[in-house]
Amino acid sequence: MSRSKVTEIVYSPESPVRYPAKLILETFNELYASRSLAWRMLVRNIQGQYRRAFLGVLWAFVPSVVMAATFTLAERANVIRVGPTDIPYPAYVVFSLILWQTFLESLNSPIRVVRAGHSLLTRVKFPSQALILSGLGEVLFNFGIKLVLLVVMFAAFRIPIPSTIVFAPLALILLVLFGTALGLWLAPFSGLYEDVARVTELAGGIWMLLTPVIYPVPAEGMFAQVVKLNPVTHLLVTTRELSTTGLVSDPLGFWIVSVATLVLLFSGCLVFRLAMPFVVERMGN
Amino acid sequence: MFGIRENFVLKTTSIGTDVVLSVEGLSKRFCRALKRSMYYGLLDIVTELSGRNRQTETLRHEEFWALKDVSFQVRRGEAIGLVGPNGAGKTTLLRLISGLIRPDAGAIRVNGTLAPLLALGAGFNPALSGRENIYLNMSVLGLTRKEIDERYESVIAFADIGDAIKAPVQTYSSGMGARLGFACAIHTEPDILLIDEVLAVGDMTFRAKCYRKLAELREKGTSLVLVSHSPAAVLSICDTAVYLSKGQLILKDATERVMSRYEQDMAVGHKSSVQSAGQMLLPEREGITALQIMRLGFVDEEGESVEAIQSAKPAKLSVTCRVLESLKGVSLCVLIDELSAHRTRVLVLESARDGKSFSLSPGETVLSLKLSPCGLKPGSYTAKVYLKQGKMHIFDLVESFVFKVEPDPKMVQCGFYQPRGWEVEATPVISSVPADESAVSQPAARLEPFIK
Repeated sequence: MSRSKVTEIVYSPESPVRYPAKLILETFNELYASRSLAWRMLVRNIQGQYRRAFLGVLWAFVPSVVMAATFTLAERANVIRVGPTDIPYPAYVVFSLILWQTFLESLNSPIRVVRAGHSLLTRVKFPSQALILSGLGEVLFNFGIKLVLLVVMFAAFRIPIPSTIVFAPLALILLVLFGTALGLWLAPFSGLYEDVARVTELAGGIWMLLTPVIYPVPAEGMFAQVVKLNPVTHLLVTTRELSTTGLVSDPLGFWIVSVATLVLLFSGCLVFRLAMPFVVERMGN
Repeated sequence: MFGIRENFVLKTTSIGTDVVLSVEGLSKRFCRALKRSMYYGLLDIVTELSGRNRQTETLRHEEFWALKDVSFQVRRGEAIGLVGPNGAGKTTLLRLISGLIRPDAGAIRVNGTLAPLLALGAGFNPALSGRENIYLNMSVLGLTRKEIDERYESVIAFADIGDAIKAPVQTYSSGMGARLGFACAIHTEPDILLIDEVLAVGDMTFRAKCYRKLAELREKGTSLVLVSHSPAAVLSICDTAVYLSKGQLILKDATERVMSRYEQDMAVGHKSSVQSAGQMLLPEREGITALQIMRLGFVDEEGESVEAIQSAKPAKLSVTCRVLESLKGVSLCVLIDELSAHRTRVLVLESARDGKSFSLSPGETVLSLKLSPCGLKPGSYTAKVYLKQGKMHIFDLVESFVFKVEPDPKMVQCGFYQPRGWEVEATPVISSVPADESAVSQPAARLEPFIK
């Protein structure tokens, strides 16, 4: 048989952590091997999702538009006070919200796919990384749709595009990966305890308020310090700056968070792979 | 009946010597208290991440052994049956083998690809068509797009659901879904196929097709691990069987032996009843007062017990009972079922119906049923034996006594043994026929000089 690689697989109580090289190699081999499955799952999910929805892809940006409209109205009516923004406020808030939602989706994605993949995870042994990858694909797909809205906004407000925009996707990817990395760490535990998903949901709202999404980056004060300590600030703001002003205000912060993201992502992949069998065991049939 | 064919095709497959699956001292503990189980899960994850060995021989609070120290091996092309009552650990064992969950002690070594048929069509998306789901399901099972392309046509042909393949899976009947799922799984052509109670799906024609496909795979060297509550399925497919009860391996032996032990344990619900060397011993049971069956089995002419009887040869089933009060009009009843893929009743014998009722006085009495000769074709059977009085009153009952009928050369291709006699009657008409014409009706006579 073509697929039968004659390597012996051993399942034992011994922790694979004892053989780190083997563990890392296996984890990333599986990740690589799962790409076609991930693609198929992604296509299935997107098709399944939109085949049964009358409004179809509209659902990808309706929430952003509604939220942006709310904040714009609130700002116009002076209900909330934000300082001057680099670009007109409606465009600013739509752009930031789209970035924030993309981050939040990527954070929730691993948690969501573990729950949605319940029947598959408990019945078939397959590289579960495929679920993560397809979830990531969905996040990017949704972003792509929202991008259309963004382009329309930028054109309507005649916002000039700087040449640095070519680097914006890199920052955006890091933002998505940061969310995914956190999600990878949390997903196994959310499979065990309902509480994890609820806390994440709750924390998402508070976290957004600590991120310069509906307001510009604060310059001074306690609040400015808190916002600066928030890792999402650096990734989100850099993505925004690269696509609007072309000036990165805090490159050091961005690089520190980027490196941390990669470390977190790498460890997250390993944690997810090691922890999932124990979660599957307790998911029932 | 395809039962005969299954027996034939599946059991004649040669088994290789190389071990494809080895289970060594495997143990797994579970906790039924949900919250504690989650907490233990958390602890296990931490232990795993910290690189410590989880090998353990002890249970934590509120845990029990779902499997304890189970060992067996499966060779290439071998079919092994896992039997046992609910909660014996059969499915847990399959989940451990497939790598879904990790063991707490011991090890599992797998040499080759493995396809689990734990749930058919796992991951089917109801909104997508049958075709799209074939691609999805087979990629989950580890095939590349090219491999699926190559097998697509035969999957469709096997599932045989016609034009429905273009319709969304949510419009399928449960049988159709299962057929598609089975077709997908079986066409991954794994080295080891784990089957959990899934052969019960579909109609008879489809089941027959599944059995044929399994036989075909075994010829190619695929090993099977089959979990089933149907003794018939296990007997007709598996060479060896493993009997699990409460996580312990009770017996691993040839299928017939394991099944007879299992059937008895199930029937009597008492561990102390044992069937060995064709004899079944029953423990003393409370509540059965007048008449109890103590022992049951086939005996030869000298009264010595025999392990199996032979087709076309005389046989005697002897039932030893303890009689506690004088009884009249007692009838011995023996109902025999054939254990093929479909359990079919082949004999209903009742002594009273044959005009034979027994009068018994207190003490130990032996009642027997003479089969002269045994007309059953070779195979495995189960007998339900009971003693009754009148139409309704049953004194004691043995739910299942499993026995084997061994072949006789005279029985090749026969469905049952027909006692018979052959004769040639010398009439003037036949003897007057010229020699070359009589050759047709008397070939033996013509050949005789040549043989000599």
